[in-house]
Amino acid sequence: MTDLTAWLEGTALATWVRESASLWAYPTVLTLHTVGLGIVVGASAVVDLRLLGYGRKLRIGALAPLFPLMAWAFALNALTGLLLYIADATIKTGQWVFWLKLALIFAALWVTFATRRIVLDNPDSRPEDVIPPNGTMLAFASLVLWTAAIIAGRFMAYIGVP
Amino acid sequence: MDALVTWLQATSLSQTINLNLWIWPIAEAIHFIGLALLLGIVGFFDLRLMGFFRRISLIGAHDLVPFAIGGFALNLLTGIVFLIGHPEQYVHNVAWWWKVGCLFVAGANAGLFEVSIGARTMALGPGEDTPLSAKAIGLVSLIAWFGVLYFGRMLPFIGDAY
Repeated sequence: MTDLTAWLEGTALATWVRESASLWAYPTVLTLHTVGLGIVVGASAVVDLRLLGYGRKLRIGALAPLFPLMAWAFALNALTGLLLYIADATIKTGQWVFWLKLALIFAALWVTFATRRIVLDNPDSRPEDVIPPNGTMLAFASLVLWTAAIIAGRFMAYIGVP
Repeated sequence: MDALVTWLQATSLSQTINLNLWIWPIAEAIHFIGLALLLGIVGFFDLRLMGFFRRISLIGAHDLVPFAIGGFALNLLTGIVFLIGHPEQYVHNVAWWWKVGCLFVAGANAGLFEVSIGARTMALGPGEDTPLSAKAIGLVSLIAWFGVLYFGRMLPFIGDAY
């Protein structure tokens, strides 16, 4: 494992992200990761709040275009996250809070697919919005999991770093 | 300004923030949660103002704004914690002043919207296009808030804050 992470860190790309003095290297990658976070978590919070009963004048089906936006932002964060990972692969691989963050993201994604299903099941042709019985629980779980993923991500700067 | 910095550094609150191992990381995590809430909800409303997501009810999207204000309150509070903890690394940092400038633009722009075209725009129903004035305000808001994020994230790299 250490061989692999050491090799990753030694690649030209990882070295550039980690060591370049350019604002386009680590600073911009980190900033884009923060932009993506804001869009993914913020847009899913909009959906979650509606499912929890806030903003009732919003038709649930009208929230559908938020999901492609979240998908693009998530792709941006997968890419920038990978760059940040390879830049310090050995340290990050050894951090339990990193693995916790990944687990939280996968759980949050799974829940987001479920909330997306609810949105897509409410087309304009339906006279009234219908939230299934588990909708409240899913929306709540989404808010908690994405929030926890942010906390775990932030704590990667403090827990298990030399 | 330097006298203010010296005075702030000497306060017991400043010293508590620095001596406690967890205040800073926890404030950072909250700052990022507030960021997502604020950016997600305001960005959602701004995009509708700009004429995207036309099936979205403007008044419905606006009904979520109190949550964005809640996110802003979290960030103002945690931002003050950072400022009290390490005033020197902000007041001498050009990125911080740009961030504060963007904040004022975002705030003034939102205030302008509420007192001018707000009520008229919110009366538009789902599917209706917005006037050019609303599109301009939405665009300025989006750019200003992303400016706040950009200069905030760049604080350690353009200046030397962390």
